[in-house]
Amino acid sequence: MTVMLPPLVPDEVEADELAPRADCVADSAGGLTFDLADLGLPGAAYLLLRLRDRQPHGAPARETRLPLTPAADGRLRAVLPSSVQLAEGRWDVYVDHGDAAPRRLSPGVNDLRSLVDRMPSGTRPHTAVRIPYATKHGNLTVRAWHRAPHAEAGELLISGAELTVRGRLFGVPFSPRAHAELRERTGTAAPRRVEVTVTGADFGLTVAYAALTGGPGTWDLWLLPQGTGGPAARVARLLDDVADKKPIFTYPEVRTGTVAVGPYYTRDNDLALRVTPTV
Amino acid sequence: MHISFLIHNAYGIGGTIRTTYNLANTLAEQHDVEVVSVNRHRDDPVFEVDPRVRVRHLVDIRKGTAGYEGDSPEYHRPARVFPRAEGRFDQYNALTDRRIADHLATVEADVLVGTRPGLNVHIARQARSGPLRVGQEHLTLDSHSKALRAQLRGVYPRLDALTTTTEADAGAYRGKMRLPGVRVHSMGNPVPEPGVAPADGTGKWVVAAGRLAPVKRYDLLIRAFDQVRRQRPDWRLRIYGGGRQKDALRTLIDELGLYNHVFLMGPAHPIEPEWAKGSIAAVTSSLESFGMTIVEAMRCGLPVVSTDCPHGPGEIINNGVDGRLVPVGDVNAIAGGLLELINDDELRGRMASAALHDSQRFDPARIAERYESLFTELTGRTGSGGRIGRLRGSVHRSRGALLGGAYAVRAAGRAALRKGRTA
Repeated sequence: MTVMLPPLVPDEVEADELAPRADCVADSAGGLTFDLADLGLPGAAYLLLRLRDRQPHGAPARETRLPLTPAADGRLRAVLPSSVQLAEGRWDVYVDHGDAAPRRLSPGVNDLRSLVDRMPSGTRPHTAVRIPYATKHGNLTVRAWHRAPHAEAGELLISGAELTVRGRLFGVPFSPRAHAELRERTGTAAPRRVEVTVTGADFGLTVAYAALTGGPGTWDLWLLPQGTGGPAARVARLLDDVADKKPIFTYPEVRTGTVAVGPYYTRDNDLALRVTPTV
Repeated sequence: MHISFLIHNAYGIGGTIRTTYNLANTLAEQHDVEVVSVNRHRDDPVFEVDPRVRVRHLVDIRKGTAGYEGDSPEYHRPARVFPRAEGRFDQYNALTDRRIADHLATVEADVLVGTRPGLNVHIARQARSGPLRVGQEHLTLDSHSKALRAQLRGVYPRLDALTTTTEADAGAYRGKMRLPGVRVHSMGNPVPEPGVAPADGTGKWVVAAGRLAPVKRYDLLIRAFDQVRRQRPDWRLRIYGGGRQKDALRTLIDELGLYNHVFLMGPAHPIEPEWAKGSIAAVTSSLESFGMTIVEAMRCGLPVVSTDCPHGPGEIINNGVDGRLVPVGDVNAIAGGLLELINDDELRGRMASAALHDSQRFDPARIAERYESLFTELTGRTGSGGRIGRLRGSVHRSRGALLGGAYAVRAAGRAALRKGRTA
């Protein structure tokens, strides 16, 4: 649903100290259940998810409304099933009673245990991930990803001047033409082809840092499970309860020549390699 | 009974404040309870306060408000009653001396409870005759300086009762302080039932939580986990909390090549859902004056592998039954303790059930009953209610009550918590 909305509270605003609080429980299929106190206001209540705007100012905002229905103990409940598609991005969460401006929610208890070490069945063409989290300003936001296909990164092993990535592919099968590519983000250098080994849906690949040491740069890692011309998947780490991998999943850098090379997760939890000068 | 707590600042975040509200809220079910805060620096308390508990202050230090008293000359003269060797001496002054004295001379209460050494001194020296004088020690005797111990030794005999968080510390006060006629009791700290279901024990995660400070010895935990992953690479470790040791610990993780197995998660609040993701909790401290995180983890259904450090862990954990105690500072022993539970699902499950059961003794209702018995016995009165078991406390599990539990932080306190140090 795409509609024009009145301006809502941007996340840059510190959480309202009296903001209603929502508890959120995740299920292993990727669905979320939100519970909040019934404010006792008349009229239908909705949980409003609004995609944080990266578009030009004034462009229509995307939103999803979920009905809030009475649950036990005088609380209201809304369910976001995995079948409701959310575009990738940050969805700020509000409660909307229809009679006034929607109110931003703050996080209560996020019970995300079923997301830890999540392993989807692999039967769906797409992989949907939603992780509720507290923003740095103390508001409740849902981070959503939608990947088709999806290449989940597992363990990273750094040995000498090489990085080995192990992962699993979801959504499409591998073909014999499968390989990976490192693409320099600014496009100033040619992509580097990386061979992959495949066992069922699992894959492994090794990046020799020597291939990247021509100069400073940032290289995004893509998996091409059916070769050039087929679908492409950013290698990413999405299947757990950690909304922002960057500060937690960190890896050592290796110095080689006049540069240091190391893997990191972007703010979208995609895997990339950074080449930085050491002097 | 009318019970009046005296606390440094009821509007802040620390462990003593949380503990005091947990206790006050529960006692308020049967008694008339007030929390008197020496200082007030913000409008509202961070923690949830039962509406039956009255909270008031003696000195207003809310900057920019009409009642601000920080400009008073008295506020800038040093305190004479509050002991000089007390850690908070700098935050006390002639104005706090006078206000506390006035309060204690006139307070209508059956029981006065001081919540830190300096305030216990005020109560011992200045309380009008009548109310029971109870001092709480949230830290330990051996953590006090020699000078403070000397000051307390002269004053504490005027208390009716002194409470500690552990038996070990109660023993230290009885043995080293000579307090004739003073009842010295170990009470433990209250920890409410968490608002999340207990861990199911299937996640292959060890969880630790606390400030990243040298006393927590997370360096030992990380080194121990290096041994764990050699045998069980399918298990991993999460350490929650922030602190100055973060960079050093990060470097150690990278040096040992543990970046796929050990994660520094940063602070989490509330912490209970994070415990519930694990199957074993780890504590490797060289000192725990009580060991609140051990009880928190047990209440979430995790057996704890802990160093047997002074003072709390050995009194909380029933070794081999609801957790495992290992020698302090011994990497091999920590690894051995973790692997024992990792490699034996049946043992781990049995210990998890026992941890859940045994940690109920720290429920606020049970701790409040211990206080109530002590107060009743010493005042020679009976309370207004029945006997043991009448305090309901947090022993109820409904979703609605969820927010009244361990994370009973008021909305107004959330911003403060994010900025403060929480595990």
